[in-house]
Amino acid sequence: MSPTAALVKAALNSNFGWSVVRHRLFVQKRDRWMVPLIALAVVGVVPTLVLYVRLLGTVFDMLKSLGQEKALLTLAVLAGQLIILVFGLFYLIATFYFSRDLEYLVALPLKPSQIMLSKFAVVLINEYLTMAPFILPALIVYGFKKDGGLEYWLIMPLAYILLPVIPLAAAGLGVVGMMRLVNIGKKKDLLIIIGSLVLIAAALFLQFGLSRAAGTSGLDAQKIIAMIASPDGLVQTIGRRFPPAIWATRFLHNGLMTASGLSAFALFAGLSILLFGGLIAGAQRLFFGGLVGLSERSGVRVRGGKALAIKFSSGHHPVKAIFLREVRLMNRTPIFLLNGVLGVLMVPVILALTLNTGKPGDDSANILRLMTSAKPVTGVLVTTMFMIVCATLSGVASSSFSREGRKFWVSKVIPVDYRQQVLAKFLHSMAIALLGIGGATAVLVFRFRLAAGQWLPSLALALPVTAFLTFLNLAVDLARPLLDWISPQKAMKQNLNVLIAMFLDLGFLFLYGVAFIALGKSGLRLAAVLGILAVLGLGLACLAYTLVLQFALRRYPSIEA
Amino acid sequence: MIEINHVSKSYNKGTVRAVDDLTLTVPPGEIFGFLGPNGAGKTTTIKMIVGILKPDGGTIRIAGLDNRADALRCKAMTVYVPDEPEIYERLKGIEYLNFMGDVYGVSGGERRSRIEHWLEAFELSRAVADPIQTYSHGMRQKIILTAALMINPRVLVLDEPMVGLDPRSSHLLKEAMREHCEGGGTLFFSTHIMEVAERLCDRLAIIHKGRLVACGTMAELRDQAKDKASLENIFLELTES
Repeated sequence: MSPTAALVKAALNSNFGWSVVRHRLFVQKRDRWMVPLIALAVVGVVPTLVLYVRLLGTVFDMLKSLGQEKALLTLAVLAGQLIILVFGLFYLIATFYFSRDLEYLVALPLKPSQIMLSKFAVVLINEYLTMAPFILPALIVYGFKKDGGLEYWLIMPLAYILLPVIPLAAAGLGVVGMMRLVNIGKKKDLLIIIGSLVLIAAALFLQFGLSRAAGTSGLDAQKIIAMIASPDGLVQTIGRRFPPAIWATRFLHNGLMTASGLSAFALFAGLSILLFGGLIAGAQRLFFGGLVGLSERSGVRVRGGKALAIKFSSGHHPVKAIFLREVRLMNRTPIFLLNGVLGVLMVPVILALTLNTGKPGDDSANILRLMTSAKPVTGVLVTTMFMIVCATLSGVASSSFSREGRKFWVSKVIPVDYRQQVLAKFLHSMAIALLGIGGATAVLVFRFRLAAGQWLPSLALALPVTAFLTFLNLAVDLARPLLDWISPQKAMKQNLNVLIAMFLDLGFLFLYGVAFIALGKSGLRLAAVLGILAVLGLGLACLAYTLVLQFALRRYPSIEA
Repeated sequence: MIEINHVSKSYNKGTVRAVDDLTLTVPPGEIFGFLGPNGAGKTTTIKMIVGILKPDGGTIRIAGLDNRADALRCKAMTVYVPDEPEIYERLKGIEYLNFMGDVYGVSGGERRSRIEHWLEAFELSRAVADPIQTYSHGMRQKIILTAALMINPRVLVLDEPMVGLDPRSSHLLKEAMREHCEGGGTLFFSTHIMEVAERLCDRLAIIHKGRLVACGTMAELRDQAKDKASLENIFLELTES
């Protein structure tokens, strides 16, 4: 096996943990309970998938009646590539530069491009899995509805394989260049965070640009008629700011036996190869330059006794000491900071941006109407849900124990009651959740101009529910902490606990919403409805507090670090 | 001070027996060396003493207290130094020391004087305000040892403490270990360095395939072996498969 192939194989095995899973299931005979749970989760997704496929079928029929069914392919390709561009960025930064295996790989007789290739393969496979539930159904529905024949079914997998290459390679080039630039001076971590934010902001603006391009709000009636009259009209409109989506549509629709299909494929594949080649060539020149310094020691130490003296702590309460440790570890690990803190601020920022650029009739205006609807209960429900979602879906609480990784032994040996340790973690997760609630409230107050009469009750309802969900998310991670990771990305974004907690949170929010609406319809006065929900939230938070602390006493001793 | 009674631990649903019915006692004021080949069960035993791993059977008592039933009180008098210096690399050295001082309740005055003393001794004073991720393996080991010596516990449990230390730091550590026991403390440590074990330990135990094969003073170990030339020879003889 060539060194490159061996490296790629080892990277995939290490990242997806096939050997570990095999060892755990068949040798250690651990985690077998996960198999039926995963099967159940897969079965649970089926109804949603059926609904999605039906929706796609309806969209196809609707587009077909206008003679524009090809636009479904354009939308699928565009959506897939946008998902990859935004979500792939975090993953690329973490995998390229923050994997702990890098310091071993760098010492091996391997070219930077070979190491980069192995890392790129890991991200690529992950992106195939990420976009599969969104994009594959669209491509399959199109194939069946259009009756594309054998040729379509042969080309479709090829298109799917090529799909993430353009956005990932483009983002990869940005990341490699950014890391080379910021790897100067002493404040590398800070520069990495700033650089990542700039890249993410660029990706978001690009997304908004493309979304607006996909919209038809700027068209007058004559242009719409012209667009529909042309067989490629809608495809051109949607894909005009991102031509690869048009090329992919063309070769999927026309096949490779036609001149237009073949030329479109040549363009799509050519750009993919060009960008990928550019990434590998860029890696050869810039990758090590970005890496060196991430773990290197900073210059000569010249600090004297005076500087040292002021940093001695005179003694904190253990809860405060652990809280401070959590804050420092999160804020100083770029991947944790970007996923955690940025995670809670992302939704409010995106919403604020869409409202800023929105025009009458677009989504943000609809949201605004819903928030200030005639029924006060609906308005409070929407704003409460918005605050809770911003606060809890970042994965901070549901990765709280996993983030300790191999350092978890410290938590096992220190003479601090496990309940106090969980309490400190709760306070830290809650502090970040409050940041999310703060961001959401700021958007509601300053962008949506909501009255205090609406956002204040929502705040009062959201706080106890957020506390409850934070305890719930902590319990999920405590039940099965992922401590053996080499890339911090694995502790957060690739942590199954984060996904499980997210499903639980959404399930709870659905039930909470149902209860909210039921109470709203019961004829009770608004104040009474809000009072009942506030008491319910507080009760759940108190119950969760008691149960999770008791769970900590039972669970901690059996976690073997 | 440390009493290990019929302790067993296995992995992989009982297929790998890491520690098998281990019984031994370490009285106060003693330096106890724990020897064994790779995979013999040393680290597993140590992790059970400090509460990281749960034994499948048997009991471990620290100063007469069951280390599971009275976990907090046992932990308050025990400090563990692991074989791999895996600590919070995003913290600065001084932040790690302050954190350990806070959770072990070391007073401000004692903390300051002990930290300053050990940082000076280990030549870490200049590095202590830097993030731990910038430290070498040996420096990480020294910052963990500084924390342990700052806490000054009744029981010190060290797993391969000399690995990665330069000769000067290693010498200082051995002096500190002796001083700790002369002050009435107990020290339980594992090592592969036979010369250190032979010279430093009051008593020694050799574990092989999870079972205790020898325990006693150097003189008592010599009595058990045919080749009495050195601890290394005794070790090799007793751990032959």
